[in-house]
Amino acid sequence: MPTQIVMDHNGDTRYRFDINDAEALAKAEERFKQLTGEGFTATVRTGPAEVTKIKTFNPKAEETVFFPRLIGG
Amino acid sequence: MLGARRVPIAWRSRFRALRRLYSRYYDENTPEARGLRLLRAWLSPSQFEQFDAKGYFDVIGSATGSKYRIQYGTSMNVYELDDTGRLKVGWCFVPQGCLVAGDVMLAQKIALETFESRALSIAKRFVPFGRLRD
Repeated sequence: MPTQIVMDHNGDTRYRFDINDAEALAKAEERFKQLTGEGFTATVRTGPAEVTKIKTFNPKAEETVFFPRLIGG
Repeated sequence: MLGARRVPIAWRSRFRALRRLYSRYYDENTPEARGLRLLRAWLSPSQFEQFDAKGYFDVIGSATGSKYRIQYGTSMNVYELDDTGRLKVGWCFVPQGCLVAGDVMLAQKIALETFESRALSIAKRFVPFGRLRD
């Protein structure tokens, strides 16, 4: 089941959704837009050693990891 | 007398076993443990091995092909390496907010592997200290 993993102070929060459930799918897409709109980076794994940044919602991605905007330390 | 000695030993043993059990449960449910689990799941097989053995892993920058070393930590933990494997320069950049080490390191890895130039434009340089060599 596809999972959206959002990094936060708890480590991460996970949202699983069923791609055959229209309501759940719409909610996941809305979450994607909201997080990326807030400056989160969305990334998916495209191979065992390959990660890709995505700008549009991919419902088929097994896992999408979101991390907050980067800042200079 | 012997019976009285046996009971505390048995209890001590049981207590130790319980403590180990709770400690394991606690470790598996802390934000730190979750962050490390996520990081490990997203490392390449070679990075996974390197991190488990040495506490750091190397990544290749997407734009320049430079090699970086990400050490366990939440700040001032990314180093660019020279051709001989020496620490050349430190780059400090982190995801905003209060995140655990595993999450910070995963964000740094993804940033360098997918949008290196932008990550470095945000980062602050620092003079590396210590060795961190193979």
